[in-house]
Amino acid sequence: MHEEPFRWVEAIANRREYIEDQLAPGSPIVALSYHDGILLFTLSRERQKLFEVYDRIALGGLGHPGDIERLRMAAIEVASTEGFARAADDVSLRRLANYSMSPALKAAFEQIYGPPFLARLLFAELGRRDAPNLFLRLDYDGSTHTNGGSFATSFEDFGVIAGKAHAMRQMENFLRGKDPAKCSLAEALKLAAAAWAAGHMALSDDREGEVPAMDRLRAHLHEQLAATSVEAAVMEVKAPVAVTYRSLAEGEARAMIS
Amino acid sequence: MNTPAALTSGAPNDFPAILRHHGLSPQVEAIGSGHAAAGSPHALTPTHATTILAFKFADGVLVAGDRRATAGNTIMYDRADKVLEIDRHSLMAIAGVPATAWEMARVLEHSFHFFRRTQLAEMSLEGKVRALSKLLRDNLGFVMQGVGLVVPIFATFDAQGQQPRVYFYDPMGAQFEAADFAATGSGSPSVRAVLHYENTYSKHPLRKLRASDAVLLALRALETAAESDSATGGVDRRARVFPIVKLITRTGIATLPETRLAKLYKTNLAV
Repeated sequence: MHEEPFRWVEAIANRREYIEDQLAPGSPIVALSYHDGILLFTLSRERQKLFEVYDRIALGGLGHPGDIERLRMAAIEVASTEGFARAADDVSLRRLANYSMSPALKAAFEQIYGPPFLARLLFAELGRRDAPNLFLRLDYDGSTHTNGGSFATSFEDFGVIAGKAHAMRQMENFLRGKDPAKCSLAEALKLAAAAWAAGHMALSDDREGEVPAMDRLRAHLHEQLAATSVEAAVMEVKAPVAVTYRSLAEGEARAMIS
Repeated sequence: MNTPAALTSGAPNDFPAILRHHGLSPQVEAIGSGHAAAGSPHALTPTHATTILAFKFADGVLVAGDRRATAGNTIMYDRADKVLEIDRHSLMAIAGVPATAWEMARVLEHSFHFFRRTQLAEMSLEGKVRALSKLLRDNLGFVMQGVGLVVPIFATFDAQGQQPRVYFYDPMGAQFEAADFAATGSGSPSVRAVLHYENTYSKHPLRKLRASDAVLLALRALETAAESDSATGGVDRRARVFPIVKLITRTGIATLPETRLAKLYKTNLAV
């Protein structure tokens, strides 16, 4: 089977379909720049979905918990060894994703006799000095998508992931033109929560449509808030130490979006 | 870059073990072990850093160190920083070979961060104290060759027990918890004498001292050590080189600014 290219392509296509099916119910994760740094936001039922990777890098993941855990450990390990062997300033998300994580994911995905990673990851990196923040989506097949700012694409101050592609597009459509970079933490949380609701509503529709009006998003959010916990974390530019990551207490974050 | 150990089975989850996995551990087997042992004609005279102290005062724990690093009779450096911040509430002060000690501090700092990031919880105080103990034990080969002796002090503010803790170690990694104070390095006999005297016979036991008095006592103890120990650096007021003094309290670590030390020396210390 392996020697016949079209069979291989077929196997890959099957595998893609299977993984997309597995990821489909994944609750959205939103990351956006705000006045003091980067905010990461999601609503979760049982598992923690937002994680610290390194001094200025954070991660949100959806998919199989075992796979997210292995990828998270790998990212922390690569960043930590790099930061130890050289310096914290030499740890970069682009290198971490492009040279370490992406090849590993691609290899696992295309070696059709081995298990693929059932995971979709969203990385965020707080820019150093004047550098812009980087948001990077890393998929199960090793493909990446960033918030642009290079190669003739316009720059966006956010990054999102969700179980389905059209839900991600819906969230991006909602966030485009919102200019979160000037928001306070409370405003940014409200914006992120509304974007989450836009993505979550789209998950139950199979077709792409208009982004629902703000009051419908709010209503959906409040409905969901009753059965889930709010998970939010920030990376703060003005953190007193090199470590910028801080997770917000559930109650604190909930109070700000309600 | 090597494949992350986390993506292969049986991956270590301890940071020093991961460093070894990637061949990045500073504690490599000594090159040409046995050939350049201390005392041989080609013996390397390692650089030493000396005289550090830590004691508990009313609000927490004070950690201080002089600035001198020596190699034999030569003064290598008079601006060495021997009091290193490991995390928001922990300091490691080093006496001994800085080449080893600074790397140990880096391993320790990364280990604590690595543990928090991977295990999603802060490492326990006991775990932190043991982590340093293990690094010292792993370093024993260097110590036996006469090139890597490190005798650190570990001071922290215990968030759970809401009290300061001070530990000192022997070169083999045994950890001892200090009741009130600890001092290591070549100038430590004088420092210990001063601190013991103050703690026992003065009207101001260390634990009752206010921060400003504690700082003054630390500077005086270091001055006393520099008086009789050539490897302990004194103060160079013209070059504005003062000892490093840091305080760990409930709220975190505070470093005494140079201007404050300069003023104290001018008014309260005869130099």
